Parts: sequence; C-alpha cells; structure tokens
Amino acid sequence: MITAEHVGYAYRGNVRTVSDLSFHIEKGEFVALLGENGAGKTTAVKLIAGLLRPTEGRMTVNGLDTAKTRVSERAKQVGFLFQNPDRQICENTVRDEIAFGLRAVWGKKETERIRERTDELLEVFGFRGDEDPFSLSRGQRQQVALTSTLAPRPAVLLLDEPTTGLDYRECTRIMEFIRRLNETEGTTVVMVCHDMEIVLDYARRALVMAGGHLLDDGPVKEIFRDAPLLEKASLLPPQIVQIAGRLGGEFAGADDAQTLSSLIAETAKKKGERA
Amino acid sequence: MTDLFQVVPGNSPLHRMNPVTKIVLTLAVSVAAFLTDNLFVLLFLLAFDLMIGVVGGVTRKAFSIFKGLLKVSVFLFILQALFVRRGNRLFWIVTDEGLLTAAAVVLRLLVVCLPLALIMTVTQPSDIANSLVQVLHLPYAYAFTLTTAIRFIPQFMEEMSGIMEAQTARGVEFDTKNAAKKLGMLLPLCVPLLISSVRRTGATATAAKARGFELRTRQSGYKRYGFGAVDLMGFLVSAALIAGAALIR
Repeated sequence: MITAEHVGYAYRGNVRTVSDLSFHIEKGEFVALLGENGAGKTTAVKLIAGLLRPTEGRMTVNGLDTAKTRVSERAKQVGFLFQNPDRQICENTVRDEIAFGLRAVWGKKETERIRERTDELLEVFGFRGDEDPFSLSRGQRQQVALTSTLAPRPAVLLLDEPTTGLDYRECTRIMEFIRRLNETEGTTVVMVCHDMEIVLDYARRALVMAGGHLLDDGPVKEIFRDAPLLEKASLLPPQIVQIAGRLGGEFAGADDAQTLSSLIAETAKKKGERA
Repeated sequence: MTDLFQVVPGNSPLHRMNPVTKIVLTLAVSVAAFLTDNLFVLLFLLAFDLMIGVVGGVTRKAFSIFKGLLKVSVFLFILQALFVRRGNRLFWIVTDEGLLTAAAVVLRLLVVCLPLALIMTVTQPSDIANSLVQVLHLPYAYAFTLTTAIRFIPQFMEEMSGIMEAQTARGVEFDTKNAAKKLGMLLPLCVPLLISSVRRTGATATAAKARGFELRTRQSGYKRYGFGAVDLMGFLVSAALIAGAALIR
C-alpha cells in the first residue's frame, strides 16, 4: 500500500530532515510514527501525502509514485488531517466545508454525487449543515475537518497530531471513529502522535524515528518494552506500561497489560497462582 | 520568504544608528522619490537604497528583496504602460509618455519599499517601538501596534503557506498556470487566514495586558536611545537627499 524506498528529504539550504527512510505499510494497518520534535515525523507523513517530493529515493502509495501523481489524484487516495483544523476549514457552513474537498477531488460537475455524500456525512456525524464551523468548539472543528478529509473515501488516512488541544471526550470521540473506520472499512491509518497512551490504545504498529532516521519498526507493545530504544528516541512509555514493566519481574506476563483493569486482573491472577 | 523581516544582528553603522534616525532616513528617501520625476535621480535613489544594504551588512538580503519587488514592478509597469494614453504612440496602444510614467512609478515603488524592509532587518522591532516612545513621545500603544503589525507579517506568511498546504492535501491544485483560476482558489483561503489572524491578535493582546501593558510609560524601558556621530551623518544625508531631489526635478 505505502512503500518508502530509501527516501530522503532536504529542505532548501540542504537541511536534511529525513534520510534513508525505508518501510512498507500494508492495507488496513494502523501505524504510529513516534519520535521527539524534529525527528522527521511530519516530513515523513508529508512525503507520503505527496506534499513534499523526496529529494532521494521513491515513495509510492497504491503503486503510484507520489512525486509524479497529480494533486487531485493523490487526494482521492490519501486524506490528511492536520493538527490545526483552522488551516483546513475555509467555508462558511459545515455543508459547504464538506463539499469543498469533494469538489476539488471529484470535480464541480458532480453536483448530485457531492450532495448525496455530504448529506450522508452530515447524518453520520450529527452536524447541522447550515452551522458556521468557526463557531464550533476546537474538538468539533477538528471533527468537521476529519469529516471533510474522509468525504472522498481515501484509502489512506494520515493524521498529524490529531488530538492536540482536545479534551478527553473530544479526543476519544475522534479516535474511536478512526478506529472504527480502520477496522470496518480497512482504511490504512498512519498517525503522528506524542501521546503514548493514545498510541498504545489505538495503533498496532510503530515506526520510531530520531534525527531523520528510522530507528525501529515493530508492534507497539514490543516497542514500548524496549527501554534502550525508547531512550535513544527520547520517548517515555505510557504509565501503564511503566507500572506493568516494573511488576513484570515479579509477575511475569503482567507487562502485556494495556489498561489498568487488565493489569489488575493479570496481577491478581499471578498472585492467585503463587498462593 | 518568511525570513524577510528577520533581524540580522551586527555592528555596522546602520545597526548602531538610533532607530529614529533610521526612520527619518527612510522617510527622507520616500519624500525625495515623490519630489522628483527625473528617472536618473530615481535610479540614484535606488542605488542609494542598495548601498544602505551594503553598509548594513545585509547585501544579500537587499538584493533578495529587490528581486522580490521586481516581480510586482513588472506587473505594475505593464499596467501603467497600457493605461497611460498621453504622448506619442510608439506601438499598439503604448505611448512614450506611458513608458516614462510606468518607469517612474516602478522606480518610485522600489525606492520607497526597499529602505523600509532593510531598516527592519537591522533593527529589533522593540527598539523601534521604544525609541519612538522615548524620543518622539509617541504613546506606547501606537508604537506597539506599528511594530506588532510588522512582526506579524512573516507569521501570517507562514500561516498562509500552512493553509495552502492543507488545501493542497484536499486536492486543490494551486500549481495551475491559469491566473484567474488560481485567484479563484486563493480567495476562499482568506477566511481561515482572517480567522487565525484575529485569534492570534486577540491572544497577543491578552498576553500583553496580562504583563501590565497598560502600566507602561515613557520611563518604562531600561534602554536609552541616544544620538551620536552616525546619527548626525544620517540626518545630513537625509537633508541632502530631499534637497537634491527638490532641485533636480
């Protein structure tokens, strides 16, 4: 689905932000890109989206070279949800906002198709079509931006810190919707995220970056157990993993726990076995 | 382009000059440019502008701003040349007077814009605000508004490029060669830019108030802005420029 072959990218002035990046992401995967600020995560997702063209190597999505594909063609396949929804929203009503991206991708002549898809999404997300998106809360604006991104049914969804500035409920609502989309429709999700709890809860695979290089690539649980790797990437595992990891020596297997309830259950089970 | 107004540190005579003198020099160049219609004088003033860049140690930046302004100038030159109908027809609808007026307008634009941009690259915005308050007794609120407006330009440019990137990701093709189509694509982007600008301005005002903005007086700044030999030189040059332009019209 997404293949990076020795991809490198240097901004003007030869400031290299990504070097020798190689990975393959299959259809339907939920991948998190991890690393400290300046590790090259956002550059990597922009390269996948075709917003940046590799200065070295080749990036393909669905077999199409992102550097050679037209913007509208790329947007049909790849949806990009930015950290700041206000950069994305540019229409005066939620209906027009959803239709904006569709018009760009499907063409203005597809009026009926655009209207049907807009109505469908308004119903799914429970928005009023005539609502002013700028009068909504930050979380709701992020949801409008997500709805608009998903409108053309992209096969790949790229998320650049999608939960920044959202409260817990707004964050959960958005992430649960993305999880459903990933599980039911097989949408491939690549997410840049600094919140390790969210990564643990939703992503199944993680790519760890540092200094523009790919340090490791593997299942999220294994990545979070690798203390030297996390230290190298300046990352801290989620609290639950830290607690489980400490208990792990005494209660082998407890470090598999992903939630507090599973940790308690696992620990109780081990205690029972010991007694 | 976003580093256009980024201050370049240094110890050149222009760096050491009192910010008020720099503003006077900039105004003098502008006044001189509007006093004269003589193309040679305007060319001299343009060369003087570039010299300011050399003296300030920002030669590369001066030429980069000049190059940026040239693009606008070409557009303006064509418009002027096509719409001024006075004088003798040279070809199609273009007249000799049209060409001369167009050249003067374009040169004036370059002469006026260049020094202002260059002065901003060798002076901290806070120094401009503080010196205006201390030396010219301008209320701090006005000085702050002036410098904040200038300081926000690169930030707004960055914001605009982020908005364009977000729209490109949605399939909007800004790389079209059709100018009318491109304009049609850019217009809706004014909405998010305006919204973010208003939000940013509101946040800045709140932050300033929270730090006692309204308590600030002329005596609040710890830095004093005196005048030295380099300032005297600046005033003399300013007077010479205005006098020269008034004499050679």
